[in-house]
Amino acid sequence: MRFAVKVALRYLASSPLQTGLLLMGVALAVVAFVFITSLIRGLAIFLVAQTTGQISHINIEPPARIARVLLDGTSLVDQPVSTAQRLQIRNWKEVIDTVKQNPAVVAVRPIITGNVFLLRGEAAASVAVQGIRPDDLDAISDISSKIVEGRARIGGGEILIGTRLARDLGLRLGRPVTLRSDRGGQRLFSIAGIYETGIGSLDERVAIMSLDSARPLFDLPTGVTAIEVKIRDPNDAIDLAETVATLTGLKVTPWQEKNRSLQSALQGQGRTGSLIQLFALISIIIGVASALLLSSYRRRSEIGIMRSFGVSKSFVMVIFVSQGILIGAIGAALGCALGFFFVTQLATLKEASGEQILPVVPSEGGYLAAFVLTTIGATLASILPARSAASIDPVEAIQQ
Amino acid sequence: MSLLVATNIVKTFINGEEETRVLKGVDVTFDAGEIVALEGPSGSGKSTLLSILGLLLTPTSGEIVLDGQKLTGLKERAISEVRNRRLGFVFQFHHLLPDFTALENVAFPAAAPVGGITKEMRARATMLLDRVGLSDRRDFRPSRLSGGQKQRVAIARALMNKPLLVLADEPTGNLDRESSNQVLELMREINRSERTTFLICTHDHSIAERCDRRISMLDGKVERVE
Repeated sequence: MRFAVKVALRYLASSPLQTGLLLMGVALAVVAFVFITSLIRGLAIFLVAQTTGQISHINIEPPARIARVLLDGTSLVDQPVSTAQRLQIRNWKEVIDTVKQNPAVVAVRPIITGNVFLLRGEAAASVAVQGIRPDDLDAISDISSKIVEGRARIGGGEILIGTRLARDLGLRLGRPVTLRSDRGGQRLFSIAGIYETGIGSLDERVAIMSLDSARPLFDLPTGVTAIEVKIRDPNDAIDLAETVATLTGLKVTPWQEKNRSLQSALQGQGRTGSLIQLFALISIIIGVASALLLSSYRRRSEIGIMRSFGVSKSFVMVIFVSQGILIGAIGAALGCALGFFFVTQLATLKEASGEQILPVVPSEGGYLAAFVLTTIGATLASILPARSAASIDPVEAIQQ
Repeated sequence: MSLLVATNIVKTFINGEEETRVLKGVDVTFDAGEIVALEGPSGSGKSTLLSILGLLLTPTSGEIVLDGQKLTGLKERAISEVRNRRLGFVFQFHHLLPDFTALENVAFPAAAPVGGITKEMRARATMLLDRVGLSDRRDFRPSRLSGGQKQRVAIARALMNKPLLVLADEPTGNLDRESSNQVLELMREINRSERTTFLICTHDHSIAERCDRRISMLDGKVERVE
């Protein structure tokens, strides 16, 4: 069958224009494939990075309490849970030490969260407090770099707030504000800095203070309400969360669970991408099949004469299937190279702000998949023309 | 001993409702080393008979025995092998492969089943091209050869696998008088030197006259053998 492959090569080489056009067609479809893959995957990477860059990847919280009453000494009955006592992690120092030992972990910080009313004169707003150790200020999200007024400092009695909260309530740097918690604690704070992260919820209704300032406010002298963990690759969060949960027995939530809408958006986007990839493949298959079918028709008499001197049907099949494989493989390689060049150029196009116009990631073009699928597609596409060529009747073909 | 014996060959073509009986019980015998002309007006069934004897068509009924081997009823693969190893074909139109050189065209029937042109094949193809007077055209593609030259390459190709029988369908039909004579002389010479049997289908009397025997066909039957 080696000779059949030689015949296939000779056929492809005999009409360079037609073969060139066919290869170009396949290559362009592969470029479309590579472009859409690098765009969809790039967009996913970009969105995940944007989301996970500012948030904790894994949240460790105390397990929810279930109150039960023992009836007749045999059966347990659930009772309403009292909210008088806050859920807290008392042994947070040990938990942090345990979690830190995992090499995938980049940062760990204890945090006290709670709701307060921010009171200033007549104005009042519900605000979410994050109480953290001053050293941990930038552990999860780089707040220091987002300060637009004042300084990134959370000593005793100091808070940081977002620009929108400041604007909504007319708050200014250094002004005293009163915070009253849902536990009844009340303290006076001064505004040390105003930040702008660009994330609505953070800029609009969060106040950051030190862990020590938050303790009396929420009546938590020793415990914390949660531990936040940042890891090297956010995609590992689900697996790592499970490990941490088994290790600590606490309630552990990966970021994906809190951002389900992002996950479903990414999935939808991925499906759209697959559909476009599928269409690119179908156009390759149709193009290759029609070109080879035409060639098998044009070479009827040649094939007829080959058959007359005893060349087998499978020899004729191999001639055409090898053409399909060659066109697929060469076209795909060409398309991958062109596609890589194209998305690399696209990646350098930036807006004035330095952001990429299209979030393509050249290394995520799915080149192997493009190559393999195109080659398989072109091979499949050649089967119909190959069968039609193999079934040519020598007598009919020669008489033409 | 007879090289080929065809007994009571019948061929009926069915086209929808219409049945056309092209061969109505033909008996022919060829001896080894003969050069035989198959004559007849168009529509007499001579081309159909040639296709059946060359295993390109299956007869509706009848039996063909080549060199003691019964050929009717063979499977597709076995038929291809007989065509490849024991028969040679020359057609009215040369049907050379346009993308291959004269030498590659000649070697093709030998090379196709084994995967490539070996040194021996190259040597034999060169020798055959030499025999047909085209040793200086070995590496030319068909487009650079004249009609007579192409037909001579086709004859060399038919001889590549040392066939027992060469079937030629109007081999000089497309050639001028001089080229026709050259081609016929070539076949005669190969017939003499290699004892290859030739069956030449023609309606050119001057060619038929120069063969050992003439079989004339009319209306699907053998009319006369001389």
